[in-house]
Amino acid sequence: MIAALKVLVSSALAGLLGLDAVQAGQFLLSRPAFVGPVLGWLNGCPLEGARLGILLELLYIDFIPVGGVVPPNGTAAAAAAVLAHAAGLAPSLSFFLGLAAGVLYSPVEYRLRASRSAWNPLIEEQVRDGIFVLRRWLAKAMLIENAALAGYALAWAALAALLARVPGLARVYPGTEFAYSLMPWLGLSGLYFRFRTQMYKKG
Amino acid sequence: MFGSMFLRSFFLQAGWNYERFQNLGFAFTLEPALRKIYPDPEKLKAALLRHLAIVNTQPYMASFVAGNVAAMEERAAAAPDPEAALKSMPGVKQALATSFASIGDRIFWGRLKPMTVQLCVLVWAAGGFYGWLFTSLNTPVSLALLLAGPAAGIVFYSSFAVYWRWRGLGTGYSCGGASSCGLDCSDWSRSIRLLSTAGFAMSLAILLLAFSMLAAFNCGSCGKPDMLLKAGLPLAVMVLHRVSRAFGRSVFFAAGLTLAASLLFFSVFGLKPFSLYL
Repeated sequence: MIAALKVLVSSALAGLLGLDAVQAGQFLLSRPAFVGPVLGWLNGCPLEGARLGILLELLYIDFIPVGGVVPPNGTAAAAAAVLAHAAGLAPSLSFFLGLAAGVLYSPVEYRLRASRSAWNPLIEEQVRDGIFVLRRWLAKAMLIENAALAGYALAWAALAALLARVPGLARVYPGTEFAYSLMPWLGLSGLYFRFRTQMYKKG
Repeated sequence: MFGSMFLRSFFLQAGWNYERFQNLGFAFTLEPALRKIYPDPEKLKAALLRHLAIVNTQPYMASFVAGNVAAMEERAAAAPDPEAALKSMPGVKQALATSFASIGDRIFWGRLKPMTVQLCVLVWAAGGFYGWLFTSLNTPVSLALLLAGPAAGIVFYSSFAVYWRWRGLGTGYSCGGASSCGLDCSDWSRSIRLLSTAGFAMSLAILLLAFSMLAAFNCGSCGKPDMLLKAGLPLAVMVLHRVSRAFGRSVFFAAGLTLAASLLFFSVFGLKPFSLYL
């Protein structure tokens, strides 16, 4: 019961922190490096949460949200990974599930953004009628995004709980653990080459 | 007015949509200024509708555009022929949004954001936590240290972000009307070069630290061939990442390939896995 409550609270918190990515603030509170240890602490595994978070961050830092690009969602990735680990999966498998969860959230985010295009004529109509309630539209947008991400994290937690009951799952762990041990190096490579490229080009 | 606009600018992208990008947030940011400039509801309506048009820029630098537009609206309201005064506004707004997007993307997304990860790793390393490098290292670490890493990055990054949001409003307002307004308020090229150099130096330091720790964790515990294998694998992964990027593939391709190969060797063929450190 308490575990289920923790998962619910974690999902809601992930939804709230996720707003920081695009919609509100943008203080980087939505980055996996922060979401990981916070959700890990909430679920009794701060060390693993921090590790999952920073490794996801190292890979996700490769993507830049310029223009209308919807990069893989780091908050969804960290939340799914930590909740998968809390559900009983090994950190290595949780990490790769989180990686997939972040990528698969992009189409959801794309649809949410696209759906808001239809709001423009409605808002213009309201303004013409003298009704200035922009804040309500923005609050509605944030509420929908919050609920979508929280629900998505919850769905991954449920999936992980089911996966943890699959017999013979331990057979994949030697492979996932070895690949997981190489992920920091993959991330460090991304970090190094990002700045190296910048050093050798103008501007 | 500025205080309210500043606070509202944190929600610039709340209504981001594919048709007009940041238009809802931009109009919301500008609303306090428009209410002050146009007490007449009809004029306020017209002004708000003007700013529900398409706009897209870097969120932290949007303040420069908002400040500029507020000043232009103020001048237009006081002009004998407001229509003529507002004629150049869409062009100026678009020019500024594009220029500041380019500067902001390079500074914030391209440099400061990756630097927050570097800071996090360096804070953890300074506190003696290397779990971020060795995935099966489970020595106890305090929660304070675990949170101090990301918090250092957040404070560092947000200090720049908040400063430029605030300064952008004042700068934009003071030189409103010019399509180059605010672009000369700082030596952006120098800042970009400086951040690139600092980021590269930190990257080198972290790589050096990582390989030193790898050698230290294995020192005296394994022979030369083992050591070569343990140092060679991380190098091979780094080369794989570089090659993937050269062929236009993302980091996920390299991660997927590493996972597939590991599963094949250690889960399917049943080879005995080994740890990168002892």
